[in-house]
Parts: sequence; structure tokens; C-alpha cells
Amino acid sequence: MTVESSLVTPLLLEFPFEWTYLRSIVRVSLYVSLVAVALSTLCSLPIALAVGFTEFRGKTLLTSVINTGMGFPSVVVGLVVLFAVSNQGPLGSFDLVFTAEAMIVSQFVLATPVITGVSLAAVSSVERTVRDAAFAMGGTRVDVALVTIKEARYGIATAVLAGFGRAISEVGSVLIVGGNIVGPDGTSKTRTLTTAIQLEARQGRFETAMMLGAILVVLVLVVNAFVVRLGRGDGGYR
Amino acid sequence: MTLAARDVHHGYGDDPVFDGTSLSVSPGEVVAIIGPSGVGKSTLLRLLALFDRPDGGTVEYDGEDVWNASERRRLAYRRRIGMVFQETSLFDASVRRNAEYGLRVRKSWPDRLRDELRGFLGRTNGTVDAVEALETVGLAEKVDQDAASLSGGEAQRVAFARALAYDPEVLLLDEPTSDLDPRNTAVLEDAVLQAKNSGIGVAIATHDMHQAERVADRVAVLLGTGIIEIGETETVFDDPADDRTRKFIDGELVY
Ligand SMILES: Nc1ncnc2c1ncn2[C@@H]1O[C@H](COP(=O)(O)OP(=O)(O)OP(=O)(O)O)[C@@H](O)[C@H]1O
Ligand SMILES: [Mg+2]
Repeated sequence: MTVESSLVTPLLLEFPFEWTYLRSIVRVSLYVSLVAVALSTLCSLPIALAVGFTEFRGKTLLTSVINTGMGFPSVVVGLVVLFAVSNQGPLGSFDLVFTAEAMIVSQFVLATPVITGVSLAAVSSVERTVRDAAFAMGGTRVDVALVTIKEARYGIATAVLAGFGRAISEVGSVLIVGGNIVGPDGTSKTRTLTTAIQLEARQGRFETAMMLGAILVVLVLVVNAFVVRLGRGDGGYR
Repeated sequence: MTLAARDVHHGYGDDPVFDGTSLSVSPGEVVAIIGPSGVGKSTLLRLLALFDRPDGGTVEYDGEDVWNASERRRLAYRRRIGMVFQETSLFDASVRRNAEYGLRVRKSWPDRLRDELRGFLGRTNGTVDAVEALETVGLAEKVDQDAASLSGGEAQRVAFARALAYDPEVLLLDEPTSDLDPRNTAVLEDAVLQAKNSGIGVAIATHDMHQAERVADRVAVLLGTGIIEIGETETVFDDPADDRTRKFIDGELVY
């Protein structure tokens, strides 16, 4: 046992992991989920704004496609992404099989419909008159979009949190595309909290699985609290 | 500055709202637009505010056909017009943020980013023009209140102030006193006259005939699919050329 882990031991009675190992799992989980959610938000917001404010044929269809995507089976996404990054796939040249980056791709695919769908609902509920007011006071289209995002900020925060929740708590696709790998140095390469939990549980180590589960829950809580605070502070908007 | 709709045709779906109608607003005058509900007062103001492109005819600013100008020029024209909507719609932010909005979007992006950063650090520096505009409607002491917590009448006055704050050349007001008590109606009418005296051209849609008499230099009567009569306020009210005008003003008109 290292010096570091002995500091934690009194709290968790018998702490079953190397501290560095645990830290690497948390790091991979956060890295994959945060990057995927950030990229996904960058894509989702423009889509939500564009779909929310334009009338076109097939809008209802597109909206229901997005909403269906929210509940899309993650194992299927994992399979498709695994194929895409494999040698025969379109992303084959990037050599991404069993890497954290492949997991980012699959979590991006999973989170995007959630973030788009929930933001679309939030953005659509911003009164037309509010957008008109921004335009009337000399706003450009960019200004109107910014005002809309600010008006819908709570809904958008909810969307991002929902996307993050889906990304960090998901097992199926990260297992398929990542492979739950621990490197030769004993730190996680593509092992996340969820896949580690799955492994521990399968091997009958319920207590450790529960502990990892508790860490996962705390992580989600912390991120939620942070985002909610950010929304409250509303960036000097008041 | 002269803002004018010339021979505009406009409608929604198959129903024409305007079938070739014209109206101009010159500096330092107040034009009241009266007419029954649903006749197109708001529609006419939206056309003048360069919100909607008319199906036919032109909207001109200083003689230039705005919808044939570049988008850049149209934005520049739009920024010389202040518009207050019938349905008040303040941003979910402080009164100050609302009042400053027009000034803010006119700044360069680096300046705006710097201002946002200062706001984020809690150093709000109230723009003088915005606070002045709030003063003209008696709401200067509400700058730091949440817009969402204002009463309907206060919100309506903030909506007026934020259009005034960026010094427009034309003010388009759509029933700006519909939620106001008599005292605040008087405050707002004073502000309209003050704006007029400072050289701003004002068009005001109203259901209140007395208000039209009090503030307007000219009155345009909308009936059917266009303006049936336009002229000096006194003439329109005391000696209208069209019999339907008299009936409408007297409340006898059945439509
Ligand atoms: N976006 C729209 N889509 C379809 N019809 C519309 C739209 N906006 C206005 N109309 C119709 O155009 C006509 C004129 O509406 P407008 O709002 O200009 O009337 P108004 O004179 O301002 O009425 P009020 O005094 O009640 O405010 C109405 O018959 C209205 O139903
Ligand atoms: Mg109206």
C-alpha cells in the first residue's frame, strides 16, 4: 500500500485499490464524458436554435427522430462506432479501436440527441416576442441567438446535465468500443467507473463495486451542483 | 429622417391586411394610428420597423427602398428605429440589462466581451443613457430589480425606456399605455412629447381616442384593408372627410 492510500483507508475501512489505479479510472471517466459532452453541446446548440426557429417541411419528423435518439440503445451505438473505427470502417485510418477517443466518439453519439432534444424544447419555449425585442433593438441574428440561449439557460443547463448523466453512467458502448483495458503499468487505459463496477460485480466483489458506485454518484452530484451554480450566477446577466 | 411605407400590400395567407396603403413619419411629429382591433395597426408598425418585408410596395428610409438595400444597410436603418411592442417582452434579466441592451449590441465585440467580464466580476457600470431613459418613465430606482418581478405597467414603461435609450430617430409604439393607470399614462405621454420635441418622429397605435387627440399631430384611420383617412388631428376628429371615420370615433361603427 502506498502512503496516499493509507490516508484514505480509515474512511473506507479496507480500501481495496491502489490509489493511482482508482484515480486513473476516475480520470478516464471524466475525460471521456466531459469531452464528449462539451463537443456534443457545441453541436447541439446550433442545431436546436436552427430547428427551433425555422419552419420547414419535415420539422416534426426531425424532432421525433431527435427524440427517438434520446433513448437509442447504447450497445447498438457501441457496435456501430466500433465498426466505424475498425480497420474496415470510415474512421479506420485513425487507429482508434479500444482507445479513450473511440469512447468519446460513442458517448458523443449518445449524448447529442439528449442535449439537442432537451435544448430544443427549452429554446422553443422562449417567447417569440423576446426574440423580436432583441431584433427590434438592433440585434443581429447572432444577438438574437445569444438572447435565446440566455433566456433558455436553465433548460440548456438541464440538457447538458442530462447528456453528461447519460455519458458517464453508461456501460454498454464504452465496454464495446473501449474494451475495459488497464495498461501494463496498472492504470486505466479505457476502464471507466461503470465498466470497473461491472467487472467487480461480475467477480463477486460487491463491496468494491458499491464503493465505486458511490464514487460515481458523488461525481455526478458534484458536476450537477457545479452546473446549477453556474446557472444561478448567470454570468453577470442580471 | 423620414420613414415611409408606400403603397404596401401585405397579408397573411389569403387574407389581405393591406391593399396598397401608405404612411410616413417625419422628424418631430407624432402620428397616431387608430382603427378597430384586428385591422392591422400592429402589422403596419412591424412593416415600418423593418421586421417584415411587405408583399408589395416599398418601405423607405430617407427615400431609400430599404428592402432593396444590402442587409448591412438594413441593419443600420433598423438601428435608427425604436419599436415598442404591444405584448411587453422584457428579457429575464435586471431592468438595467434590459435598458442597456440596445446600446450593448451596438458596441464592438471586444468591448462587449470586456463589459461582460466586468459584469461577471460584479462591476456593473450603469450606462448613463440607459438610466436617463429609465428616469423619463419614472423608474430609475428600479434599475437593479429583476425584470420578471415588475408589474405589468412597470414592464411596459421599461420597454419604452429601452427603446429610447439608444437615441432612435423614429419611435414606433404599439399601444404603449394599455397597461398603465392614468398617472403613468400621463408620464408616458409626456415622454412621447419630449421625444417629439427632441426631433424624434413617433408613430403610435392606440385604442384611446383621447390619447390620440392629446399627443398626435396627425391621425391615420385604418379601416378595412388600409388607411381610409389621414390628416391633422383636429380635422380628423372634428371634421372628418370620411363618414366611416366619424362613426368609428363615435363608437357607432359596426364591423
Ligand atoms: N403572424 C400572423 N399570422 C396570421 N395572421 C396574422 C398574423 N399577425 C396578424 N395576423 C392577422 O392580421 C390582422 C391584423 O392584425 P394586427 O395585429 O395588425 O391587428 P391590430 O390592428 O394591431 O389589432 P389590435 O388592435 O387588436 O392589436 C388580424 O386579422 C390578424 O389576425
Ligand atoms: Mg395590435
